[in-house]
Amino acid sequence: MTLAHYLTLSGLLFLIGIFGALTRRNIIGILMSIELVFNAANINLAAFNHFRHPGGVAGQAVALFFITIAAAEVVVGLALVLAIYRNTDTVYVEEFSLLKG
Amino acid sequence: MPILTLITFLPIAGALVILCLPKEAEKPIQITALVSAGLSFVLSLCVLYGFDRAQPLMQFMENADWIPSMHVHYALGVDGLSLPLVLLTTFVTVLALISSLGIKERIKEYFFWFLVLEAGMIGVFEALDLVLFYVFWEMTLVPMYFLIGIWGGPKKEFAAIKFFLYTLAGSVFMLLAILAVYFNSTPNTFDMLALMHQHVNWSARFQILVFLGFYFGFAIKIPAFPFHTWLPLAHVEAPTAVSVILAAVLLKMGVYGLMRISYGMLPLGFAWFIKPLIIIATINIVYGALCAMAQTDMKKMVAYSSVNHMGYCLLGIAGLTATGFQGAVMQMITHGIITGSLFLLVGVIYDRAHTRDISAFGGLAVRVPTYAGLMFLACFASLGLPGLAGFISEFFCFLGAFQAWKVYAAVSVLGVLATAAFFLRMMEKVFLGPFNNKWAGLTDMNARELASIVPLTVMTVALGVYPKWALDIMKETLIYMINTPR
Amino acid sequence: MVEHAYLIPLLPFLVSLVILFFFDEDAHSPYAPYLGIATMFWCLVQSLVIFHQASSGAVHPWPYEGSWEWFSFAADSAGKGFSAAMPIGILIDGAAAVMLVVVTLVSLLVQVYSLGYMHGDPRFKRYYAYLSFFTASMLGLVVSNNLLVTFACWELVGVSSYLLIGFWFEKPAPAYASKKAFMTTKLGDCGLYVALLLIWAKFGSFKISMLAVSAATPGVLTPLAATAIGLGILCGAAGKSAQWPLFIWLPDAMEGPTPVSALIHAATMVAAGIYLVAKTYFIYAASPVAMEAVAWIGLITALLAATMALVAYDIKRVLAFSTVSQLGFMLCALGCGGYTAGLFHLTTHAFFKALLFLGAGSVIHSVHTNDMRQMGGLSKKMPVTFGTMFVATLAIAGIWPFAGYFSKDMILERVYGHNQVMFGLLTFAALLTAFYMFRMIFLTFVGDDRDHERHHHAHESPWVMLWPLCLLAFLSVVSGAALAHNGFFEHLVNYKLPEGLMTETLAPRLMPYAVTALVCGSIALSWFFYGRNDFTLAESLKARCSPIFSVLENRYGFDAIFLSLVAFSDRIAKFAFWFDSSVIDQFFVDGWGLITRICAELSGLFDNLFVDRTVDGFGGLSMDAGVLLRSLVTHGQVQEYLMYIAVAVSLFTILILSR
Repeated sequence: MTLAHYLTLSGLLFLIGIFGALTRRNIIGILMSIELVFNAANINLAAFNHFRHPGGVAGQAVALFFITIAAAEVVVGLALVLAIYRNTDTVYVEEFSLLKG
Repeated sequence: MPILTLITFLPIAGALVILCLPKEAEKPIQITALVSAGLSFVLSLCVLYGFDRAQPLMQFMENADWIPSMHVHYALGVDGLSLPLVLLTTFVTVLALISSLGIKERIKEYFFWFLVLEAGMIGVFEALDLVLFYVFWEMTLVPMYFLIGIWGGPKKEFAAIKFFLYTLAGSVFMLLAILAVYFNSTPNTFDMLALMHQHVNWSARFQILVFLGFYFGFAIKIPAFPFHTWLPLAHVEAPTAVSVILAAVLLKMGVYGLMRISYGMLPLGFAWFIKPLIIIATINIVYGALCAMAQTDMKKMVAYSSVNHMGYCLLGIAGLTATGFQGAVMQMITHGIITGSLFLLVGVIYDRAHTRDISAFGGLAVRVPTYAGLMFLACFASLGLPGLAGFISEFFCFLGAFQAWKVYAAVSVLGVLATAAFFLRMMEKVFLGPFNNKWAGLTDMNARELASIVPLTVMTVALGVYPKWALDIMKETLIYMINTPR
Repeated sequence: MVEHAYLIPLLPFLVSLVILFFFDEDAHSPYAPYLGIATMFWCLVQSLVIFHQASSGAVHPWPYEGSWEWFSFAADSAGKGFSAAMPIGILIDGAAAVMLVVVTLVSLLVQVYSLGYMHGDPRFKRYYAYLSFFTASMLGLVVSNNLLVTFACWELVGVSSYLLIGFWFEKPAPAYASKKAFMTTKLGDCGLYVALLLIWAKFGSFKISMLAVSAATPGVLTPLAATAIGLGILCGAAGKSAQWPLFIWLPDAMEGPTPVSALIHAATMVAAGIYLVAKTYFIYAASPVAMEAVAWIGLITALLAATMALVAYDIKRVLAFSTVSQLGFMLCALGCGGYTAGLFHLTTHAFFKALLFLGAGSVIHSVHTNDMRQMGGLSKKMPVTFGTMFVATLAIAGIWPFAGYFSKDMILERVYGHNQVMFGLLTFAALLTAFYMFRMIFLTFVGDDRDHERHHHAHESPWVMLWPLCLLAFLSVVSGAALAHNGFFEHLVNYKLPEGLMTETLAPRLMPYAVTALVCGSIALSWFFYGRNDFTLAESLKARCSPIFSVLENRYGFDAIFLSLVAFSDRIAKFAFWFDSSVIDQFFVDGWGLITRICAELSGLFDNLFVDRTVDGFGGLSMDAGVLLRSLVTHGQVQEYLMYIAVAVSLFTILILSR
């Protein structure tokens, strides 16, 4: 297992996440896709740490930090989704265009 | 006890208290103003009591760092030149406040600005640091602007803005001059006492330039010809008490600056300007009196007589003699007292008749004898009758100037004649002759008016009969100023 | 009690304040006058004691001087400042002792007389306050040992004169006359002011005794400086003593109450000018030019005023012109080195001129007019007034043994020794004096009554007014002979002239007799014209010489000169004010403001049109671009934005990696 394997994995994961975020209609789906992007980044951090600075723990620590942040973000995101759902009775993103200039 | 700080900032404290009072609380506002100004006056009397008359140098000095990076200090002190002016300021302010009790509109703002004005004026006379001096100097400007612009006569806005801009134009040059002396002193300092010894290092050219800078600021304030035209306008439009302060104290700041700063720090510049100064003094005296002669408005007449009287101050200074200096300082005090009472008296008749036109009256001496008596006394004092305050100061100014400038002093004597002419004409037209029945309902002075004017009248007589105590305060300092090797 | 002489001016001063502030304004309250009279009586007693001491030589050292410090002030000497003392004090010499008696005596009599004359005036107490104040200032002028204090008192008598001339200020004429008097004397005072400045510059002192010593020291006082100082003092004296060309105020000053005219404008204040010249005689002694100027001014005044008196019909104006003329005599005497003669005439003149004025007051009080054409034949109605006034007229005409004979004789003798042309002119003035004075007596008291109504109501004045007249009449008779006896007066005032000014020419022994004979002739002429109840001769003369008469009645046009001077100064004042408000204020100051405003407008315009437009242009451009782009790309879909981001990031990544 070399660094390249890990990076390939994380790259695939990232692309899947982006693809999901761009194509899903359901907001919850989008949120989940964003989690995938996060995790791709986490994998990268851990991998780089392991192969480039074998003694260090900074990468893992930051990854752990990110996981926590992601959890918090999901909480806020789901709360927002719930609020949107309550107001508009829908979770499909194409029906929201409030930001249109 | 930092007594000078207390004198200066008690009015500010009073002003802050007034700011916190509701604007309907008229009585408390008036009482606060009177008490703080009164306390300031009492404290200045304490300074007078503790003042060593035989000591020519600064006394009651206070010194603290203010802006250390620029060597700016908070330095106060009084000597024989400034103490009489501080006393005059606190004294006249109390009386002006008493006469202001008749103000009916926007009382809170009025007294607030008045107290701020007082603090600024006292500060100018006490400051021993040029930056502090400048700050106090400008501090008088803003309150004056509002006092004229809000409580003034029909053309008050124009008068206020003209006063403000004109004076500000002068002080800008003064600021330049202050910076010039700061950067050319070694070590760099704003300390006025230290700067008095710096002139040995300065070239005549530099001193002349700096002198002109200061002179612009001072001449506008004095007001010296040809920078005097704001004065009649401001006086005519200003409310009575403000006119009093303007004439009695504000003009003195210019002469004080000329003596303290221009003479003290820039001997070569001063010597260079001495000839123009005597000419300006003569013009001020004769021309001011002539202009006053042409007036039909009593207040404007008194205003022009101020131009004439400040000319005597300049005359005394231009003699460069101890007698002349004594005359100039004494003239500042007596002019403050006499012209103060004249403005108050004109205000009295204006409050009743709503006109100040000299020819509108006639024979009033029958109807209002007390008023006529006080007015006669003030007018005679102003035209320099011996036994009243104006004579001794005027005479010393002439005496001092005559030793150096015989012709100019002799020409200036004509100004005395013209002064007598316009005052006598005013008295004849207003008080003598057949009674004008239009004014049958005129009442004599009330208690408030008497309370504000009689102290000034008493001082007029006291200083005229026994000028010794006033002369003794300033004498040693002025002799020292003349004798300091230059 | 010469040590307490300072109380003599001080006490009346305090009394005047007390009367002014503590007494009721009650027309009939007798307390204010009594207080004033009592004080003045005390002063008179003190003055008499001092006079006695002075004349008996009981005071050592003589002249007596008592000096205190008034104040000290910063003075200069050779560019160095030092503290100098200004003394205030008393200097009693012979002249001062005489003047003290004259002033207090006349003041006392006038105050008593006024009890009757001013009775019932609504400002009765103020009148007495002013009188006391005047007397105090006059006495201060007399005894002061310091020229500055003398000047101060000099101005104060001017003010009291102003207040008293304008005492009935409800009428326009007194109000105007008081102003005119004050201004005219003030004009003269300007010269005196300059003289004081010169004195300080020359001597560094105002103390008279010190000045006299320095002036006598050779080299201190150059003739030029002495001339300048002397002429300056002469200006002041000419103003105060109503000398040519400043005499115009005195006839107008007759608008004041008659007792005031007697006290101030006949006996005392107008003599102050003469007294001042005498007091500073040491300066004139150093300058022959100033001396000569004094003499000629006096002579011109004596002649002009005497001629003007010839045609006046107002009884008080006749007396006023006569006063001016007599003051001219005194000044002329002083100018000719007749120190004693001048002061002697001052003294005797004070008595008989006060008497004449008080008598005229008595007449006016009785007939209620000043115009002599409406009088006539009053001698039967008012015998005491007539008798006393007749005595005074004899005295002023210079008939032996009345007082005027001795003093006038002394003057003429002195002038004869100095310059015989002057002597001739002055004798002529003396003849005119006799003529117009008797004209006045004839017109007023002799002949038929010309106004029956007034004559019918005429009555003798009350005794309170008459006994001052009698006392003055007594003095008018004896004072001359008594004071001239054995050179008593000369010995008393005793001023030693420097050698050069002593005149050696003695008048001929017959001179007094000749002059007296001429005077008698003049009186006879006067009787011929006015005393025979037949005025045809006078009328025809008047018709024949009407141009001369009108010149005299117009006072030689000096009033017109004064008025045009006033108008001229008014014009200058108007011009100055126009210059001030239009040129300096509106043109330069407001013009400067206008230029600033125009500059501000221009720069504002530039700012608006160019600078701000440019800035706004950039802003507008980016706004427009934004709007354009926005309409191209946005539909408000979040995934669309995300795609743009993704594409952009991808592009950047490719860009970066491809480098």
